[in-house]
Amino acid sequence: MFTYREYLDYAGRCLMNAMSEEPISDWFLIPACILSWSAIESFVNNMLDDFASLDPGTFDLHERSFLLEKRLLFVNHGENIGQFILEGKEYRKLEDKIFFLISKSGGRGLKNVKGETLWQQFQNFKEIRDSLVHPRRGKEIHIEEEMVEGFIETSKQIIQLISRNVWKKEVTF
Amino acid sequence: MNIVFDSNATKDTKVKDAVTNLLHEVETLEASHDMPVIVFQDGVKGSYYIKCSLLAEDAAVLCDLNAKLDVKNLESYRANRELLLSHATYLKMESDSVAGREFNDIIVEYNTAYDQDTPLKVWGGQHRINAIKRGGKEKNRYHGFRIYFRLNKEQRTEVALISNTNISVSNDTFDRMIEETIFGDALRNWCRKVGFFKGKEDFPDTGSRSEKITVKRARSFIVNFYLGKEKSGQISSDDLDRNVYEPYIATSGVTIDDQYQALMKKHNILKDTDLVKAGEKYFDLHKIQYEAVKNPKTKTKNRKAYRNKALVESVMTGWSYVAGLLQDHSERLTNHYRIPKTNTKIPDPLNAEEMSQYKHDQDPPTYRGLGTRSSLKDRQRISQLFLAKSREKDIFLDKKFMNKAVSQTVGIIALSKGYIS
Repeated sequence: MFTYREYLDYAGRCLMNAMSEEPISDWFLIPACILSWSAIESFVNNMLDDFASLDPGTFDLHERSFLLEKRLLFVNHGENIGQFILEGKEYRKLEDKIFFLISKSGGRGLKNVKGETLWQQFQNFKEIRDSLVHPRRGKEIHIEEEMVEGFIETSKQIIQLISRNVWKKEVTF
Repeated sequence: MNIVFDSNATKDTKVKDAVTNLLHEVETLEASHDMPVIVFQDGVKGSYYIKCSLLAEDAAVLCDLNAKLDVKNLESYRANRELLLSHATYLKMESDSVAGREFNDIIVEYNTAYDQDTPLKVWGGQHRINAIKRGGKEKNRYHGFRIYFRLNKEQRTEVALISNTNISVSNDTFDRMIEETIFGDALRNWCRKVGFFKGKEDFPDTGSRSEKITVKRARSFIVNFYLGKEKSGQISSDDLDRNVYEPYIATSGVTIDDQYQALMKKHNILKDTDLVKAGEKYFDLHKIQYEAVKNPKTKTKNRKAYRNKALVESVMTGWSYVAGLLQDHSERLTNHYRIPKTNTKIPDPLNAEEMSQYKHDQDPPTYRGLGTRSSLKDRQRISQLFLAKSREKDIFLDKKFMNKAVSQTVGIIALSKGYIS
């Protein structure tokens, strides 16, 4: 499994390739963008796994449902009738996971986080990344080297934001 | 013979007699010129000594390089470090001695309680004496000595420590000396009892250069066993896996570790069967790890760090702490004492190679892997690893298992820094 550092490293290398004089090297911007997003996903998912690995009694069921990305289901038949159980997959949005981590760890007020430039940059990054991963004929995508450079930086800053709030310390890239 | 006590020295007839005996045995430069012999007394420990000059041929015969801290115990620890006779500095010293070099401030103790033919027990200047013995007799120059008399064990240790402070002596050597002085040979005998030493084996001069358990590590093992046991009494069984534990490293060097000292006063480590059993089980793990890595048929690289994985401080203290913690949880203790499973992919029980490659997201790029250092972080993680292992009978310490244990450690620590439910 790759670490967030490796994803960032690969993203950086792709960007370097895109910036080279080689003809038709612009396409490197696509993996650079996707890889820098994966860096955040890797960091966030692993952090959720750290919490999910703890004794089941540590968290309420709805929190475990969030951590494990499993559906919380009320059982109305069979042996477990009348109980809530975790079943099947229920994927969460990356931004929800980030909010969960920051708020649960007693970190900064989320309203403040959402109002900051960094979060706006994150949203712009998300829009481009989504359109690359889920392409449509009618949707024009325009990416430039400076934009991707900014995405890599945003990825690092988001990771640092989470680290500071949850671990109360900074990571080194 | 004119023996005079310095104004700072309290007159002592027994000391005077001892000095007289020595001066009957050997003629000093001072005596040959009818000069008085001054007896000094150290202001800190009260040790008596004289300063004098001896001929190389006398020094070569009278000096003993195997000085003992405890003169009543024949099995007393060898106090001095090994001589480095192939070292360039020593070789120069020996060639200088042949050429007529006069050495000074050699520290010896006049003691006839053992090996009476060599009553000058050398505490400082072993290499110089060796150089005199091997090369200085022909030119037969005078060499400067400080000769101590009637030292008790504590004074002797102090002399040995002071004599070695200005040269490169490892903390492991200091630890060995202090251990001997304060606690006798209990720790060494404990190491023998559980299997770490065979016959007359002893703690090494420098742990990093040897493949043996050091005084510091043996002390740490013992302290952590009792710390774990104590902690166990403070938490319920349900909370056993909800804590991050902090195994302890005993301090090393010229001062004795407080925790260790207190525990040694309270417990007889040779008679505590639970502790002895824990030691034996840990030695089994070390032995199997060592042999598995050394076996040319296995795929693990035969590196010292992998062979001696069980001697790494974080591994040793983490394991020992958990052994103490689980004393009242017999099923988990039995699991803990079980050697981790192996197979062709993981031939050594501690899976040293994979451990050394392990990294968590939280770790800086320079992190050297799990159980490779003595840092608190590593000790916490290793104790969590062994605690998690104790929950099941047969476990491979594979990467998945390491991930789980370290995740738990990181998760619990993060929660402890603030969690809003």
